Amino acid sequence: MSGLSLILLLAIMMVLTGCNAPQNHTDTEKKEQTTGEAKESKSKTIKHEMGETVLKNTPKKIVTLELSFVDSLNTLDVNPIGIADDNKKDMITKLVGHDIDYTSVGTREQPSLEVISSLQPDLIIADAERHSAIYKDLQQIAPTIVLKSRESTYQDNLDSFKIIAEALDQKEAAEKRLGEHKEIINEINSKLSLDTNLTVLPAVVRDTSFQAHTTSSYDGELLEQLGLKVAIQDEQPYVEMSLEQLVEINPDVLLLANNEGKLLTDEWKENPLWKDLKAVKNDQIYSVDRDLWTRFRGIISAEAIAKDTLAKLNEK
Amino acid sequence: MKNKQKFMLQRNVHPNLILLVLLIIILILSIISLGLGAIYITPSEIIQNLIGEGTSSQKFILSNYRIPRIIIAIIVGSGLATAGAILQGILRNPLASPDVIGVTKGAGLAAVIIIVLFPASPIIYLPLAAFIGAAIIAVILMLFVYKKGAQPNTLALVGIALGAICQAGIEYFMIKFPDDVSATLLWLTGSLWARGWDQVYILLPCLILIPLLIGLTSKLDILSLGDDIATGLGERSKFLRYILLGVSVVLIGVCVATVGSIGFIGLIAPHIARRIVGSKFKVLLPASALFGAILLLVADSLGRGLFPPIEIPAGIITAVIGAPYFLYLLRSERKKT
Repeated sequence: MSGLSLILLLAIMMVLTGCNAPQNHTDTEKKEQTTGEAKESKSKTIKHEMGETVLKNTPKKIVTLELSFVDSLNTLDVNPIGIADDNKKDMITKLVGHDIDYTSVGTREQPSLEVISSLQPDLIIADAERHSAIYKDLQQIAPTIVLKSRESTYQDNLDSFKIIAEALDQKEAAEKRLGEHKEIINEINSKLSLDTNLTVLPAVVRDTSFQAHTTSSYDGELLEQLGLKVAIQDEQPYVEMSLEQLVEINPDVLLLANNEGKLLTDEWKENPLWKDLKAVKNDQIYSVDRDLWTRFRGIISAEAIAKDTLAKLNEK
Repeated sequence: MKNKQKFMLQRNVHPNLILLVLLIIILILSIISLGLGAIYITPSEIIQNLIGEGTSSQKFILSNYRIPRIIIAIIVGSGLATAGAILQGILRNPLASPDVIGVTKGAGLAAVIIIVLFPASPIIYLPLAAFIGAAIIAVILMLFVYKKGAQPNTLALVGIALGAICQAGIEYFMIKFPDDVSATLLWLTGSLWARGWDQVYILLPCLILIPLLIGLTSKLDILSLGDDIATGLGERSKFLRYILLGVSVVLIGVCVATVGSIGFIGLIAPHIARRIVGSKFKVLLPASALFGAILLLVADSLGRGLFPPIEIPAGIITAVIGAPYFLYLLRSERKKT
């Protein structure tokens, strides 16, 4: 009897939902398609990390699910309508440089599909690592391109920028901007007065970990572009280190992106080994902005990092 | 309050009526849950949508996100609760739950390995790995206890030991890869975020397993009398325990693979059910299943509706509601005796 009632419940649920089987935005899509064709019928195919996506028009309503894409759009003078901002509006203000009008779509880790769909975007830019699991869901809402952002290298990031520019029909503008970017980086490279034999180590410090960034990390690669020598050459972008290992490598300059709250380095400062570090002896430890150095990534952010480096290292 | 009222009812109300009331509660909760989320939809708009006259954007949200999530919450909630009630029955231990026999931890370890070491692998690997992880632990568990005649105590102890080994593995990966901790923790707490029709199809076997288990319930009542009496009554208790254990492990594996290791439902739902319908498995199992469905449905709706657009994983809510309620249950149990 009771087993029967359970089956009954599930059957009711099934019937309830059956009349509402999954459906796409086909109506709206069709409409857009026809109006789009009336204006201009140049559709293009964008190749990205998870395949190819066809864009019928130049996207105007864009949702970005990672911070570097906001930077890329900002570089192209486009404001996204939705951003996965982890509910930190001021972080976006810091990233873009001024207040912009957008809707938060939740966290980067778990963006709200409901909000994204309610914005009715015509392009979604998602991260290859974080959002590959929801690629299908996103594709159902709007054309989606998946690019490398999280844990991407400097070069990956430039490539992603080019693809975004292509999707927005701004290829030429992007090429021009990339040229300027190279000039800015080269200029700062030549201005940096640090002895090229000295090693630099960027690292993220948390309450229980000291995570060194190597030559294959985003900031590591950028620092190399600036003509600096990053202390750890490795294929792994991030390496967890103990104080002993740090003393072993003994970099000349430390660029520390400190987390909020208690820090592991506070403990290390009590340790006599800490005073053996060259960077400590020569007073070459700089704290850098955690958001800018390790979270944002992008053309404008890279230039800001470069200027920050120049300002800090040329102080002396 | 509500519980007390029902508690009073138990003596003179037919258990089937209670089950019917629970079913109606689930239906009402489902309809409320349809409206909750980052985009609030009013009840009248829901009805409009159900009869096919809503805006297309609301219809899209309802049919692609909310409805499948509600179905998943109901199936997973009832699956975990049924499995929990059965484990408590065959282990004759009120603290037994899917966590205790190590199966969810096995699924967790396998999932963490996929998240951390193979982040680029296709999406289907994650639930698959979780299920395989659960199955491996289940097989080891059965091999270990086979010789001992599947005694309840051995089962629980071996399960706890296996779970501890898996937990150690999970912690190793989390310390070694701090950048993936948030993704890992998210899976380990369990969430229904971005689960859709694909996951509903994965869960379809549960629709057969849950009624099957409930069908086997009369045997469970005999088993709970103890092996000697059960054998005396003509039941092959060892064989029976194996079958029941096997089916519930598959059930747990499928549920955990789709939503992550949501805790407390398998433990709490059977206890709530026992208070209201008594401990005869014939009514206890379906009642547990329904309470499990209610619990997960409420947890997921709250997680979605509290702080939109940020979602709180359902696993956190079940723990926040579940743990204090469990303490309360323990206290009132003690008072009674």
